[in-house]
Amino acid sequence: MKFIIIKLLTLMMLLSATAIHASTSSNAASSEDSTHKEETYQTQSFFDMIDGFLKSTGINALVNPNPNEMNSHGEAMSDFHKSWGRVIMILITFLLFYLAIAKGFEPLLLLPIGFGGLLANIPIANMAGPDGFLGIIYSMGLANQLFPILIFMGVGAMTDFGPLLSNPKTALLGGAAQFGIFGTLVGAVALAEYTSIFDFTLQQASAISIIGGADGPTSIFISTQLAPELLGAIAVASYSYMAMVPIIQPPIMRALTTDAERRIKMSTMRHVSRLEKLIFPIMVLVLAILALPEATPLIGAFMFGNFLKESGVVDRLSDTMQNALINIVTIFLGLAVGSKLAADQFLVADTLAILALGIVAFSVGTAAGIIMAKIMNLFPGSKVNPLIGSAGVSAVPMAARVSNKVGMEYDRSNMLLMHAMGPNVAGVIGSAVAAGILISLFK
Amino acid sequence: METNLVIEGLKFMGLGMVTVFLFLTILIFLMTLMSKILHKFFPEVQPNASSSSKNTQNNKKIVAAITAAIKHHRES
Repeated sequence: MKFIIIKLLTLMMLLSATAIHASTSSNAASSEDSTHKEETYQTQSFFDMIDGFLKSTGINALVNPNPNEMNSHGEAMSDFHKSWGRVIMILITFLLFYLAIAKGFEPLLLLPIGFGGLLANIPIANMAGPDGFLGIIYSMGLANQLFPILIFMGVGAMTDFGPLLSNPKTALLGGAAQFGIFGTLVGAVALAEYTSIFDFTLQQASAISIIGGADGPTSIFISTQLAPELLGAIAVASYSYMAMVPIIQPPIMRALTTDAERRIKMSTMRHVSRLEKLIFPIMVLVLAILALPEATPLIGAFMFGNFLKESGVVDRLSDTMQNALINIVTIFLGLAVGSKLAADQFLVADTLAILALGIVAFSVGTAAGIIMAKIMNLFPGSKVNPLIGSAGVSAVPMAARVSNKVGMEYDRSNMLLMHAMGPNVAGVIGSAVAAGILISLFK
Repeated sequence: METNLVIEGLKFMGLGMVTVFLFLTILIFLMTLMSKILHKFFPEVQPNASSSSKNTQNNKKIVAAITAAIKHHRES
């Protein structure tokens, strides 16, 4: 009997030899631990086995946190973050599921993010660690900004610049909405300067303020460069506010416009030729190359996707970007962002400040777009319905739909959707430009 | 001397907003210019016009066929 067990053990040792050699010191410690258990296996009584099993359960890990457990950065964690913090985070992910499924808030992103967060908060399994699958996905595409760029390609392939080309001046609305970004930057550094609770550096404040651009990929792109430690909170805030556009924007839109302004009918759009649509992406890219090379990763990927779509000769590629590619990347991006929802990184005072600053950023951006539209109406020329100003925050196409919906509430025949798409896509370009400026300032 | 972060933030805001607006203003200018040039030198052949004339031709044929059929029906 003993002989057979020893034989089995040697076999297992041989099989796992490569793994043990390649593993880190912590893994080596655990494998030593397991061989130790196997050696003493025969002397273990049944009750000891049950006891050993109970010690390895999740309940035990939550109730009696392991003092030696490290977070995904290899730093020590407080007992709260190992026990109740995890329970709270798991409940928060359930809330995200509820919002995504029952309320329909950006389910495509909130579900992967929420589930990633759920998996990242499981004790012992350590999936968000460098060797866990969430950690691998994170370092594969998020730490090096690959995923946001790929998403931008897909978004580019889905974007139609026709509405913007037919009414170019609406691009100004997309610029005004970026005021949300820079206004919040000042707000965040003011919080850091005049309160003792928060201590944001300029880099962190810049990363937070990009939430005001209402552009998830851009927020991730910036925060991985300027403040990777805040990535989880920033990405979650950014995507949840994008999802809550239909709730946050309408009250601001109603408060800032008069009834007559909301009923303004905009002139019908001119036809945009295919050649114009084909030249436009190249033109924007050339402008970005000349003025702001820091923004070219985002703008370049965006225009690449759009160029392929408008070229009309590579439908297969543009179709892949719009569907298969962006879907795959969305799954990975969501899980990787979710892995940053680990309790020790999310349940800190900074997160609350980020969530609060994020909603301020978003509201200021919305308001700035509307006010810009009202300023444009002071000048002679065709009038702009201020309701499309709110679409200057990028959140494509949700913000444009909201403009259309609010407009329809006051005049059933007033279709603002296509007019609102102009500032909407200009907002994407605008926030990519703002992102480029912020990055270039820290170089 | 300790730097005042708020003033730094305001500087960022000034530079950022000016750049964003400048970028978009140039873009608007270029878009307008491009559409003018394209309309002047590459006037787009209106696919709608040709297809509609085809359609009217088709329609005429159909109308002729229907009248013939009705005539035939009445005469018989």
